[in-house]
Order: sequence, then structure tokens, then C-alpha cells
Amino acid sequence: MSIVDIPRWLQAERSGMAISVPIGFRIKERRRALGMTQAGMARDLNISASYLNLIEANKRPIGGRLLQQIARLLDLDLDALTGESERRLIADLAEAAGGPGFRQLGANPDKVPELVARFPAWAAALRALVRTTFMQAETIAALSDRLSRDPALSDALYGIITHATAIRSTVEILGGSAAVSPAARDRFEAMVGEEAARLAEAAQAIVRHFERASGQSRPGSPVEEVDDYLIANQNYFPVLEEAAGALRRELTKNGSATDAALADYLRIRHGMTISFQSPSHAALGPFRNQSHFDPHRRHLVFLDNAAPSTRRFEMARRAAALFGAEAVEAQVAHGSFIHEAAHERARHALSAYLAGACLFPYDGFYADAERCRYDIEQMRQRYAGSFEQIAHRLVTLRRPRAEGVPFGFLRADPAGFLTKRFPLAGLPIPRIGTGCPLWAVYEAFQSPDRIVRQVVEFPDRARFLFIARTVTKDPSRFHETPFLRAVMLVCDAIHADRTVYADGLDISSRQMSVPVGPGCRLCTRTGCLHRAEDAILAR
Amino acid sequence: VARRILIAEDEPSISELLQFLLQREGYETRAVSDGRAVLDAIREHASEILVLDVMLPSYTGYEVLKTVRADVVLRHLPVLMLTARGQENDRRLAEELGVNAFITKPFANAEVIECVSRLARDGVQPDG
Repeated sequence: MSIVDIPRWLQAERSGMAISVPIGFRIKERRRALGMTQAGMARDLNISASYLNLIEANKRPIGGRLLQQIARLLDLDLDALTGESERRLIADLAEAAGGPGFRQLGANPDKVPELVARFPAWAAALRALVRTTFMQAETIAALSDRLSRDPALSDALYGIITHATAIRSTVEILGGSAAVSPAARDRFEAMVGEEAARLAEAAQAIVRHFERASGQSRPGSPVEEVDDYLIANQNYFPVLEEAAGALRRELTKNGSATDAALADYLRIRHGMTISFQSPSHAALGPFRNQSHFDPHRRHLVFLDNAAPSTRRFEMARRAAALFGAEAVEAQVAHGSFIHEAAHERARHALSAYLAGACLFPYDGFYADAERCRYDIEQMRQRYAGSFEQIAHRLVTLRRPRAEGVPFGFLRADPAGFLTKRFPLAGLPIPRIGTGCPLWAVYEAFQSPDRIVRQVVEFPDRARFLFIARTVTKDPSRFHETPFLRAVMLVCDAIHADRTVYADGLDISSRQMSVPVGPGCRLCTRTGCLHRAEDAILAR
Repeated sequence: VARRILIAEDEPSISELLQFLLQREGYETRAVSDGRAVLDAIREHASEILVLDVMLPSYTGYEVLKTVRADVVLRHLPVLMLTARGQENDRRLAEELGVNAFITKPFANAEVIECVSRLARDGVQPDG
């Protein structure tokens, strides 16, 4: 289809010209569709035919009572007449077309106005489908979360095991060869009956639960697949630690692993060029973490305002991706992921792992962390890393016989979305959207650059220590909005006193714990003043 | 050989069964059903072995175990943990905290008795 087939107002919109809503065209089109003449309609509106002609030709502005009168006469709602609904439809579909599902199918967001103009009913149907799919995906994710972490379900299952234990033990006593007094025998026979009844009750509770939740199986999203893989490996990959050691040896051949050594390695060994660019002049689209790598030109560009720790880590990541490609690929293959997106996600996470392991070698880093009781500020000074890089590396200290505190890791943006996560077994984190508004990771935004700590208790009575802090990237100029995120480390309350962050806190007191949840959608707490939305599954 | 055993278990029937089984083997038992009560009970009863459930009110079995291991006097007390949570993560946590034995429910009576008698025999091994 050539551009001349598109209505003029849409052409104007696409070419970036001022948008003029073609009310006149719509009025004319609708009038004709209803079989009305211009003169007849003007008469009904009590205006002259020449004035209506000017309106229909978009040569006279129209609004207020006359517009409402026309809408009534033509049996159209006002939004349809002014083009507002069409505009919303275009915006909604353009947003959907920018999403991963559509991008992969080659759907071009630029074509959305054309689609809406030519096939409005199909466009509306497509939007309805997109909305339904999104809502279903949310519900499935919530069901999956609920099934794997639901405190009510796990209580019921533990109940079943407990009653089964009592029955098994009692039957063994009654059927055993050792003497049992008549009184004890009566008591245990009664106990078998009581426990059997309670067992049946617990089993029925589970059946009822599944009926309510309409028992879906876990769909397994790419995020979930990679999370499961990281948990299964406890965020620790010996093969990558080994590769990181080899890379470090390569880098330190001529001295220490400085930024210059990294840059030289990339230039000399891999023919890579590195340059700096002002954010004012750079096309920022492809930049991530203040850098961009063009694989075809083998060119790495940093924004001028990228912090030294950022530059160092990005260079290490590139070096890791090249030097350790084989180790990373082997590790990815080991994951047996179903989704292609999970491969890419895992590749990215494991390259970053290798880079972190190269910059912060395990033995020294672990010893220093233990010595300073996981004081991240001290570790930052010692290793010249950012808060996020140090926190990230702490998560990976899981080598048997040299295990650090088991940490989970979260990063949130100011809109509340969790943008990065390293799971911790037993920590309920929603797989999509936002977490609980009471979490320290959100509280950190209220006191930027200061560490916020918190002992929390989840509805299943699991307790954790949260350690959060904002991380910023300097703006390049006055008019730029500073980049702000919050990073949070999480450990089981049982390990809290191995860290400086437990100092002065009463970790053992349940009364002092902040009652939190995994996020409103999945939270079973009632009477929480901070609830922002209903739980997806009613209890 | 140790003879006095404290049972920390909040499920009355399991507690009653454990007491019966262990008393029949000649042990002297006492039972508590709340994590908070464990430490005082160990001291009062002069318990020589602790049979500890994980899911206790007030303090979990893990918290109790950690407190026991941090106590100058009690830190060598042999502890057998009983739990319906048999996941690898739970077992690892218990081991990290210094548990002596770990049995998942539903257990066989003989398994518990054998484990307790092993702990009673090997007993307390204070630092030289």
C-alpha cells in the first residue's frame, strides 16, 4: 500500500506535522452513510448548508453544543466523532507493537496508523486480544507464583505429612513386637482414628484450594526458567570462576588488571576500538549502562559521563564474552532452556557473572567480605566497584567450604518495577510487575545514597534481612534527568548477624519485623493499610 | 550415655508419640511446644539431647538451633531436627547451623530411635 491511500490527516500525523482531527471528514462520511443530504442535515441542525459545507471541508472549527448536536443526530459518540477513540486505539496498538511478542513477528509500530485507518474493526479486535492476552499472562504468572509459594497450600501439605507421620508411628507401635500396656493401646488406637480424620480433612482442604485456583500448571516464562536455573546452581558457577581466573591471568601478564590492561586486551587481542561520546551528540537508543557495542565494527562506545566503575565493568564484560564464550555457551547449554529468550537472558547474566568474577576474584573477595562482615561500603573502597557490582558479586559467593552469606538480589526502578533479580531460595518475589510497597528497596528512594535496612516477615512466617540503597548515574548535563535505581540484598534472618547490617537490630524479635508480602497481587495478608490492589486469587 | 531428652514439637500427637517411644527405650523425656520455651527447658531439665521440630511457634527450629550453638554452655548439645520440609535448601541450612542429625517426616520409629541412641552414645564432645 502506498502512502497516498492513507487519509491525509494520518499522513500528517505520520510525517510529524501538527495533528488536525478530521472531524469534518467524519461528519461527511457518516452523513452519507446514513443517506442524509447536506441541506437536510443543516436544516435539522438549524444552520446554513454553506456553513455545514465549510465544517465538512474542515475549514471551520467546531466544538461545544453544535458538536454534541451533530453527534446526537449522526448517532455517534463524541469520542468517535472527534477521533479520540481512534487516537487511543493507535496509541494502544503502537505500544503493543513495540513489545517483544510483536517485535519478534516483525510487526512494525509505524504501520499502526495505517492499520487503524484501513481496518478499524480489525484493529479494535486486535487490541481486545492483546488486552486479554496480557491479563491472562498476569493471571497465569500469579497462579504459578501462588502455587509454588502459597502459604495456605504449604501449610496444608505440611499438615498432611504431620498426620501421616502420627499414623505411621502409631501403627508401628501397635503392630510392633514390644509390649504396649492396655491403656496405651487404647490411647494409640484412638489416636489413629483422630489422625486419620484430620488427614482426610487436610486432603479435602487441598482439593478445595485447587478448585478455587482452577489448578493451572506452571507455564515457565523465560525469566522463570533462568531464575530456576540460577537457584538450582545457587548462583555459583565453578566453570565460570575458572574461566575468570584464566582471563585475569591473561590480563595481568604485564602487570595488574587495570582499566588500561582491559582496554589493551580488547584492542590488541580482539581488534576492538573504544571511544567516548558526548550524550548530547550520541543517538542514545542502543545505549545500555552508558555504553554501546557495535559487533560488526567491533567498536565499544562509552558516554562521557560513564563512571570509571561502569567503564571497567563493561570492558570486563566484553572481554568475558570473547575470552569465556565457550564456557558461557557450555553453561547456557547445560540449562536446557525451552524459550529462546531464556538462552539470551542466561547468556547475558553469565557473561556479567564472568566479568564480576574476573574483577573481584573469589578467594580474596570472600575473605575480605567475611573480614568486614559484608560491609558493602568497605568492599567498594577496597575493590573500586559500584554498590551494584559489589552486591552482585556477594550473591555469587557460594563455593562449597568457602560459602558467603546466601544473598538474593533485587533492583527496582522508581516506578516500582523490579528490573533485575537474583533469586534466593525461599524468598517470594513476584515474577512480573512490582513488589510489596513496604520493602526497603522502595524505602531507599526516600533517602537516596543511604543504606536502608529492615527485618521483614512474610505471610508464611519466613523472615529476611533487607539491605537497600539507591544507585545513581550522573547526568551528563543540567537538563538530563538523573538515572536512579535502588538495589537490595536479601538474606535469611538466620544469617543476618554475619553482616554489619544486623548491628543494633533485634533480629530475633518477631514483633520488630515489618510484616510484608510478595506484592499485593500475591499477598494473603488481610487488613494491610498499604494494599494497592486486590489479590488476584481470592481466598 | 546421655539419658535426658527434650522434645520441642508443637504437634501434640507427634510429641506424645515421641515421648512414648523414647521413654520405652529408657530415656527420660520432657516436651515443649513453643520455640521460646526451649532454652529454659534445656537448662531446667539438664537435657542431654534435643529433638527439635522446624516449624515451631515464636521461634523456628532454625532460630532455636542457632541460639543453642551460640550459647557457651549448650553449644555442643546434640540436636536431631525433625521436619516435614525435606527440601535440599532446608537440610543445607540446618547443616550450616550445626545440626547433628536431620530426619524428614513421615519418619519410621526405628529411624528416630536409632538416631537418638547414636547421639546418646557419641554424646557431648566439648572442646579439648
